[in-house]
Amino acid sequence: MKSLSLYEDKQSFLNGLTPGCKAFYIIAALVIPAMLGNKLISIGFIVLSILLLTQSKVIRRTLPILAVSGFVLITVIIIQGLFRAGNETVVLDLGPVAFYKEGLIFAADIAINVLNIIFAFCVLVLTTKPSDIIESMVSRGFSPRIGYVFVSLFQLIPQMTERMSTITDAQRSRGMETEGSLLIRMKAFIPLISPVIMSSFIDTKERAIALEVRGFNSKEKKSFLNVFHANAASRPIYWILLIATVASVVWKLVMMFA
Amino acid sequence: MAEIKIENLKYRYPDTKELALDGITCDIKPGEFIGVIGRNGSGKSTFCQSLIGLVPNFYRGAYGGKVFIDDIEVRNVEVDELCQKVGMVFQNPFNQVTGSKLTVYEEIAFGLENFGIPRNEMKKRIDDALELLDIAKYRDRAPFDLSGGQMQRMAIASIIAMNPEIIVLDEPTSQLDPQGSEEVFKAVAKLSEKGITVIMVEHKIEKIAAYSDRIMLLDGGKLVAFDTPQEIFAREDLAEHGVVAPVYTRICKDLGLRVPGTDYYPVTLDEAHKLLACK
Repeated sequence: MKSLSLYEDKQSFLNGLTPGCKAFYIIAALVIPAMLGNKLISIGFIVLSILLLTQSKVIRRTLPILAVSGFVLITVIIIQGLFRAGNETVVLDLGPVAFYKEGLIFAADIAINVLNIIFAFCVLVLTTKPSDIIESMVSRGFSPRIGYVFVSLFQLIPQMTERMSTITDAQRSRGMETEGSLLIRMKAFIPLISPVIMSSFIDTKERAIALEVRGFNSKEKKSFLNVFHANAASRPIYWILLIATVASVVWKLVMMFA
Repeated sequence: MAEIKIENLKYRYPDTKELALDGITCDIKPGEFIGVIGRNGSGKSTFCQSLIGLVPNFYRGAYGGKVFIDDIEVRNVEVDELCQKVGMVFQNPFNQVTGSKLTVYEEIAFGLENFGIPRNEMKKRIDDALELLDIAKYRDRAPFDLSGGQMQRMAIASIIAMNPEIIVLDEPTSQLDPQGSEEVFKAVAKLSEKGITVIMVEHKIEKIAAYSDRIMLLDGGKLVAFDTPQEIFAREDLAEHGVVAPVYTRICKDLGLRVPGTDYYPVTLDEAHKLLACK
């Protein structure tokens, strides 16, 4: 059973940055454009993220993520372009339907924000070992449970998918139709999902016990197997991002009260 | 090495009426290999969980009697305080993988990290456990990429790395193919040779007969018998308790072949083979 973990160690510049530094990059990429209210800055961050991911040789791993989100974004663009309230200026007339400039601009705003968020998260997730993320969170005072939930999710989803497939086969072998029209699929949904949920509860309980007997709730101070050899650039980058973020917030406040 | 003392242990799960364990009293000496047998629902898993404090501290429910690991009364300590002394391995190897580590080596470190074991000590213990369980060649593999038998051995290694004096295995081979089962039995035999007390619930009766110093027979939460494999499998009432003797024992019983100088029928393949060869 394969893990869904997206991390790949390519010995790159991003691999060497601390998880904290990359996490702060996400904050900066979201906060600074929001404070300055300028889409060009969002686009700047998208370009920067793409360059960093390309340099780290993991840009191809963003494609499946973009494929999923791309489908949603195209839907948003179509709906907003056609039907947004306040649409006035036609930019593309296709006979019975017309795309409007106002709706398309609004949809483009959304798309830029979503892409900025996705690429910024990719910078962290694709270039950071899951256990390093947990260790970084724990060392900053976060509960190990939060870190565990965050990281284990990627590995446990395939297990649930496999179970779903086993249950589907079992139900099919008893004569249940699982393919065909929407109505047939809806009828099959409850007999399929109920055992998946029940067995997941049982698995979760068993896993909770297995974690318990390995000291997951121990009150001892944790130690870590791996030593993270951080790139020397981590600290200056972290401070530059912090200063830029704080400066953007201050600028916004000044503008609000000026 | 730790001694286990159990005095009149009774337990009932929350929202149930039947006792899952009913008046169990026994002593287990350090270094013994104890097999636990009985039909489904006889209380085997509950008994195992009572040794590490999951019963009653995790499940709650009504509890009576006492379980001592040396001078520690199990109900008075939390599971995480006891689990460095008593390790437990469960049936399903998949559910014992934490899901938060990328390699077998890191997976085994999980418990040690939780107890703040220094890094050098941690590495030594992991290397020893990998070697003992014969999975050193898989150290850089992803835990979920292992076969069932390999994954179960990794689960045992994760527990062994915590240096427990007692290891409790609850049907560790029930979801494994014959080869995977054999791998696990060999690994457990090594632990026993190392002096670790082994308590193993198992339905593979031929195997448990071959490896155990003594066998507990449970039925309806009660301890029916606790004796050597020879004594246990010589009982006439095994079928009433949902257990059958090893196939070698049954064959030799049908042929009237007893181990020379004793009243017992052979319980292992070796014993039966020697007798049949002489015949």
